[in-house]
Amino acid sequence: MMTRVSEQEPVIFVVDDDASVRRALDNLLRSKGFRVQAFASVEEYRESELPDAPACMVLDVRMPGQSGLEFQREINESGPQIPIIFITGHGDIPMSVGAMKAGAIEFLTKPFSDQDLVGAIHIGLEKDRARRRDNEVLTTLRARYETLTAREREVMASVVVGKMNKQIAADVNLSEISVKVHRGQVMRKMRASSLAELVRIADKLGVSSPL
Amino acid sequence: MGKPAKEGNTLAKWPTGRPFGSSPLMPAVTVILALAIFVLDSITRLEIAVAVFYVAVVLLSQSFCGRRGVLATAFACVALTILSYIITRNGSFKAGIINSIISIAAIGATTYLALKIEAARVAAQKAQEQLAHIARVTTLGELAASIAHEVNQPLGAIAANGNAAINWLIAQPPNLGEVKQSVTQMVDDANRASEIVARVRRLAKRTPHQNELVDINSTIQEVARLMRSDLDRKGIALRTQLSPDLPVVEGDRVELQQVLLNLIVNSAESLDAGGVGTSREIFIRSAKHDSRNICVSVADSGGGFDPDKLDRLFDAFHTTKSHGMGMGLTISRSIIEAHGGYIKATPNVPAGALVQFFVPFTQRTA
Repeated sequence: MMTRVSEQEPVIFVVDDDASVRRALDNLLRSKGFRVQAFASVEEYRESELPDAPACMVLDVRMPGQSGLEFQREINESGPQIPIIFITGHGDIPMSVGAMKAGAIEFLTKPFSDQDLVGAIHIGLEKDRARRRDNEVLTTLRARYETLTAREREVMASVVVGKMNKQIAADVNLSEISVKVHRGQVMRKMRASSLAELVRIADKLGVSSPL
Repeated sequence: MGKPAKEGNTLAKWPTGRPFGSSPLMPAVTVILALAIFVLDSITRLEIAVAVFYVAVVLLSQSFCGRRGVLATAFACVALTILSYIITRNGSFKAGIINSIISIAAIGATTYLALKIEAARVAAQKAQEQLAHIARVTTLGELAASIAHEVNQPLGAIAANGNAAINWLIAQPPNLGEVKQSVTQMVDDANRASEIVARVRRLAKRTPHQNELVDINSTIQEVARLMRSDLDRKGIALRTQLSPDLPVVEGDRVELQQVLLNLIVNSAESLDAGGVGTSREIFIRSAKHDSRNICVSVADSGGGFDPDKLDRLFDAFHTTKSHGMGMGLTISRSIIEAHGGYIKATPNVPAGALVQFFVPFTQRTA
């Protein structure tokens, strides 16, 4: 028996309109120890409350209402991308190429082996974890950046493009000493141990030179 | 009986076989006529050969009973002729004998012709059944991919459930409850797969016309199921609006499925050829039309028909498609007419085609 699921336990979304296939996938993935949520349609998935956890979707390409490929396009355009594994009864080459180009993890044609499916799911979950980690890092960095004063942000932007204290002082009309103080504050608040790290952080945040 | 909205030209009309919607009054009328002739023949003088009119009885009998029935009727008429001769009291017996012989000869000749007609009709019906069967198999061939997909679904589910069952078994400790559930699902899925195969086999098999009680709605659903993946691939949605608690229809389920198959394939092809409508949708509706008929309509927003050619639509070898024999609608019409119904095609609003067929229902329950 599974223990009480934590919010962080990965979840697999199964979207397939065929009830028996949906049930079978749900069963198979549960037997592999995954947490599964099954939906009969993309609409049903979209309307559901989804857990905040690493996730991956197993999606049937051809379904009435909205086809899987259309749905993939839609989620690619809006918000975070959930890794998608396509399964299809009769996939053709253009369809699979389209799906892979749009960032699908795998395109499985029925019948597929459960190793293939589980392998693809692991890749998908790994990708989603990485995305979530990146997201988390970015959120922390943003929060730290928020604590900077306007002047400190100015100084940070100048520092990361390689300007020297003297130049910055001239640019912002301050003494070199004050620039040094601001710079120290930036390093401390952003928790950067070196200039190189600060540059990387600035890169992630998309901070650019004020000039 | 309902009339088609537009009578096609009769030249190319399909031999419809014996409609089992033929009037139930026919045998009664025939018997009454025979008795009337007998009475007249008996009360009139022997010189008056009323018995000749038995030929009408023989011809009438041909319209509702088979070879044996016609022969039996002919013998009955001969017997009645002789009986009349015996019981008629007035007139010249010599003239009576000659008249009776002439009457009997006329009955014999008519019977011969009636049997010929009957044989021709049986042959035509057989040929029709054969052609309908060929058309059906051809359509099935076109749907092979769709059908394969439909069978593949439960097979895939069986494989997945089987793998799951193994996983639950080798788990420490084994989860027998889940194993049982997995295996139960496998059995259900296997049954579903064999049901689909049986359905396709019924459509592919060549069987003589059956007369059974048919539930129209489940017939529509079965066909929709077979065609679904084909339509999905073409990006066509199939919408149904089936009136609940419809009475059943007396007829041949496979033949009615064939009609639906034809109509849906036609609609899909015309949508694929680039309809003007924005929605790529086929809409099937079933409803009680009046106190006699059930109406089934198949509508699309495809290219529709040329209004000038509307009356030729059901003719044999008339086709608007680049491929195809032009037999689909002809066969469909003959099937519907053999069920005592009628079929008509009209332009759909705002675009596309609307084909409706009407078949009489029965009060019997399935």
